[in-house]
Amino acid sequence: MRLAARVGLLLCVAGLLTICLFPFVWMIVSSFKPPQELYAVRPVWLPEHPTLDHYRHVLGASNVPRYFVNSLIISLGSTLVALPLAIFAAYGFARFRFPGRRAGLAFVLAGQLLPTAAIIVPLFVTLRHLGLVNTYLGLILVYLILTLPLSVWMLTSSFTAIPVELEEAAIIDGASRLAILFRITLPLSLPGLVSVIVYAFVTTWNEFIFALVFAQDSRVKTLPIGIAEFTSEFNTDWGAVMAASMVMTVPVALAFLALQRLFVGGLTAGALKG
Amino acid sequence: MLFALPALAVIALLVVYPIVYTAWLSVTDAAGAFVGLENFKTMATSSVTSTAAINTVYYVGASITSQLVLGTAVGIMLNRRFRARGIVRSLTLIPWVVPGIVAATTWYWMLHSEFGIVNGMLTGAGLVAQPIGWLTNGRLVMPAMIAINTWKLFPFVAVMVLAGLQTVPEELYESARIDGASFWDEVRYIMLPQLRPVLVTAVLLLTIWGLNAVTVIYVITRGGPANRTLITPIQILRQAFEALEVNQAAALSTMYFAVSLIVVALYVRFVATRDDEVVS
Repeated sequence: MRLAARVGLLLCVAGLLTICLFPFVWMIVSSFKPPQELYAVRPVWLPEHPTLDHYRHVLGASNVPRYFVNSLIISLGSTLVALPLAIFAAYGFARFRFPGRRAGLAFVLAGQLLPTAAIIVPLFVTLRHLGLVNTYLGLILVYLILTLPLSVWMLTSSFTAIPVELEEAAIIDGASRLAILFRITLPLSLPGLVSVIVYAFVTTWNEFIFALVFAQDSRVKTLPIGIAEFTSEFNTDWGAVMAASMVMTVPVALAFLALQRLFVGGLTAGALKG
Repeated sequence: MLFALPALAVIALLVVYPIVYTAWLSVTDAAGAFVGLENFKTMATSSVTSTAAINTVYYVGASITSQLVLGTAVGIMLNRRFRARGIVRSLTLIPWVVPGIVAATTWYWMLHSEFGIVNGMLTGAGLVAQPIGWLTNGRLVMPAMIAINTWKLFPFVAVMVLAGLQTVPEELYESARIDGASFWDEVRYIMLPQLRPVLVTAVLLLTIWGLNAVTVIYVITRGGPANRTLITPIQILRQAFEALEVNQAAALSTMYFAVSLIVVALYVRFVATRDDEVVS
């Protein structure tokens, strides 16, 4: 009975890994296959004549490198703008009791509830009016809608978790609130801070619909749009699509796996404790 | 208060302003003249709107159900002791970590009717005689989209469940074992009740994400074939940027926003009753 349970568990784990990993593996394998193996009537499992042609095409003869740089600029920009705003807001929510505090927090959470599709039309009209469609600044601003609320939320819970006594000791020693924030609270909440940075960066990096609407010029288009461009209705170059997908995924996957422990801790702390 | 002000101002500007502006656009015409509820009438009586609404409920409802069931089962499984558990836990996160667009294109390729590996395996094993048109058959395309969406997000539920299980006091299991409880009894009477707050939060997030989920369907089918996978967010995009009926799109947005808000508010009011579960 116990043996049967162990075997059953192992089979389940194997099934789980297959489901989670197979598409990812298939993307890697496909990106190295020459056309005659990609479009074979009987599927070819492993590339028999592996080729780097798709990567050469994607990195050398397409817009993907340009889009990669655009994605990097916009993701970093949006993260760097969101971070200081979120730090101050979260510190205020975590440490001060003021009228409207609960309402403010609820408001931040409500920002998270907003269906993006419902605001995309007025945002587009507004950005066009301001001349910010097809600009880095416009995209960075728009992405604050996605990154700022959750950043505030996550940081508030991570600041709340730091014992207030540490700060009280510093106040008695005559330190200012700002000094306390930057020299005590922030260093102590480094895991939370890193989670927020990774979260904000990855969310922006992966986002598709805003990019589709607000970046229609190849000077500012991001990687998701680049990949969608390869996937046209007819004559999709699947090898190139898979290679471009690899180029987009690898940096994100590396960041996540390196910070996985930290990130999962920060996210669940936010979710469980609010 | 002063600390929180800049962020609140930015959120207000980016969130409240568009909502108010949407409401304004929805009651005016292209020239900016007030037309009352004309746009709402046009959209509400269009048969496409009801098709999209039904599809949205189906897509979001079925996705959340399967994400929740699969995610909880996997979370409980990953809480058991087995070899290389840490690595398995990390690898389980891959679908969630992979960018949505990449997940969409990879599944698109895997479900390709001629050269896709899914049909390759099925016909190779002799399970089906003819390749299946996963993305062209009107009855199969929505379940396929739901499966992809489930694949993408069940790891999130699993991680939440796993984290929730870490907080269950060991004494509960010990006393249950003394009473001769089996593993399934522990799941039923200890784990699931203890996981309730986690699952309540997870369902809330899945609902919000589900109402926002456009990428997979947009990239693979764009709402087709014959509107079989048309969901309301895609209808809004089409109305605004293909039909160029910005005001009608705004009316549709307003309705979608109102309904989403009511669903979330009812959920928070009646399911997330303990107020520490969702907001501070």
